[in-house]
Amino acid sequence: MAHPLQPPAIDACIGVIANPVSARDIRRVVANAGNLQITDRVNIVLRLLQAARAAGVARALLMPDRGGIRALLERHLKRGDTTLPQIDWLDMEPSSTVEDTFTATRLLQRAGVSAIVVLGGDGTHRAVVRVLHAAGSTLPIAGLSTGTNNAFPEMREPTITGLATGLYATGRIAPDEALLPNKLVEVRIDDAEGRTRQDVAIVDAVITHDRSVGARALWKTGSLAAAYLAFCEPEAIGLSSIGALLQPVGRQERGGLAVQLAVRSEDALTLLRAPIAPGLVLPVPIAGWQRLVPDEPLPVQQQAGTVALDGERELSFEPGQRVSVTLREGAFRTLDVARCMAVAARDGLLRTSPTP
Amino acid sequence: MAGNPFPQSKEQLLQAYRTMRTIREFEERLHIDFARGDIPGFVHLYAGEEAAGTGIMMHLGDGDRIASTHRGHGHCIAKGVDVVAMMKEIYGKKGGSCEGKGGSMHIADLGLGMMGANGILGAGAPLVCGAALAAKFRGKGEVAISFVGDGASNQGTFLESLNLAAVWNLPAIFVVENNGYAESTSRDYGVAVDSYVDRAAGFGLPGVTVDGTDFFAVHEAAGEIIARARKGGGPALLECKMVRFHGHFEGDAQTYRAPGENEHNREHNDCLKKFSAAVTSAGVLSADELKAIDREVLGLIERAVTEAKAAPQPTAADLLTDVYVKY
Repeated sequence: MAHPLQPPAIDACIGVIANPVSARDIRRVVANAGNLQITDRVNIVLRLLQAARAAGVARALLMPDRGGIRALLERHLKRGDTTLPQIDWLDMEPSSTVEDTFTATRLLQRAGVSAIVVLGGDGTHRAVVRVLHAAGSTLPIAGLSTGTNNAFPEMREPTITGLATGLYATGRIAPDEALLPNKLVEVRIDDAEGRTRQDVAIVDAVITHDRSVGARALWKTGSLAAAYLAFCEPEAIGLSSIGALLQPVGRQERGGLAVQLAVRSEDALTLLRAPIAPGLVLPVPIAGWQRLVPDEPLPVQQQAGTVALDGERELSFEPGQRVSVTLREGAFRTLDVARCMAVAARDGLLRTSPTP
Repeated sequence: MAGNPFPQSKEQLLQAYRTMRTIREFEERLHIDFARGDIPGFVHLYAGEEAAGTGIMMHLGDGDRIASTHRGHGHCIAKGVDVVAMMKEIYGKKGGSCEGKGGSMHIADLGLGMMGANGILGAGAPLVCGAALAAKFRGKGEVAISFVGDGASNQGTFLESLNLAAVWNLPAIFVVENNGYAESTSRDYGVAVDSYVDRAAGFGLPGVTVDGTDFFAVHEAAGEIIARARKGGGPALLECKMVRFHGHFEGDAQTYRAPGENEHNREHNDCLKKFSAAVTSAGVLSADELKAIDREVLGLIERAVTEAKAAPQPTAADLLTDVYVKY
């Protein structure tokens, strides 16, 4: 039986942001973290695009880079692969910084793609969400894990993500079945002169005593002061595991979690052993925890330090600057790949009549 | 101001600034003097790349050895080689680091662990394997560091050295100073897989990429890598993404660059500007303290040039000295 809900859109277009520099930081040395090679990332892009094409996607817009993904992909395309949708590169000059992800997200949004497939870790996904959230966009993202700390994106075969994205992009699965709402933590820093800095974390906003972003990655528990978590799942790696092993909060559950950390072990309420980074299960002195209530700004007690967003130190703040965090619900949408494939099975979306 | 927010002490921050500023002034002065025709031979300037050499070398002692490149002035200064002797060497005068017989690409000071700049691309990596093997046998926790550019990273010597260091678990560290150009060839064109972390992984080494224009990022990553090697953790690769302010060599017309690229780099990717902004805004170092170092460094470079110009040239008899080393 073949009865698609509606005919596939003939001009379905998706966006792809593949970060070539995720999984490159110091955690490879201090924690034996993995390293997904560029050639593997290109193969992931190819597999997801082949599946998206099989699901009816006509065109894909890709973020250009100078990290090797574009170069290797173009080398592949010269071989005449006909299993792919039309591939076009976004008109932007890569800077090999996170600005590329910001720019690409803006351009994809402007181009009217149906969804963005993101290859990266929590940090890359955060960068995409930051732009979408600031713009009030409801454009959905489908995540593929190619980073170091991956509490947010799924570890999944890209062929399946490509199929699910294609079925959604071609209109054969409705948004209310294909998409899920997500929470995030807004971080706001106000100084005495009235200037404000704002950013977001899609998993964890962590306050540290460091006050210098240094090599950015965070792996020393001695520097942690507090963690504000949009969600925390006990099977996840990374800083959100600190909250998850105290009081798990699901992605679709209301509210988040705030955890206060003690400076010294002897001052702690409990000492928690948490997998804060790949290979690192470390004792974390816990002073207390409480639920984060949606839309209620919570002032950060720490007077000076650094805010780490989804595993990387991003913002420094000084005495006199006020930091607050606010949990937001329904802040952005993600593709529910498992649900999409279940709908595909239920409705026979991938069935066709045998050709006589 | 509420104390020093950086992991480095105030003295270390002053040292870092002094080193980076010395490299910058040294190179900018050579840029002028070379254009005037004062300098024999060839020079390749390190201006723009100071944070990498400085952030790495601050973790080293005289027992730790480095092998530099054709673009070696910054490594030499950061490793502590005497600036006046370096200037004399580049001017080809007696009293230079190699008595004026080596020039820019052969400055060495073995007593400081500076095994030499090197005119042969990728030639430092196997030398560092030897130095690291010696360090391993000595057992004092010393390390050896090889510098290459993104161009030289395509040399067989470099790739063979990664393999050798991994097989022998040497305290060797391979720093790739990725400034985007192999002479005039863009890395986009000349490097098949532009990820040095991937290359390291291919040989079983961990690799790390940092912003090479950020002293604090380099210093922290290098500190972890060097500490690991000292403890017997083995070799690693550190890629520093950076920019060079000048051409491949002095006199290079740089027609391969995009319009405005150099101006953009000097405005937005200047490691000294970034460092100064960070330490002054945090209130750890004052603008006056930095200016005092600027004046001190300018005086040093001026003195180095004056002494270099006044120094005698090597004689024919000097050709037969320093040819062999007694062990």
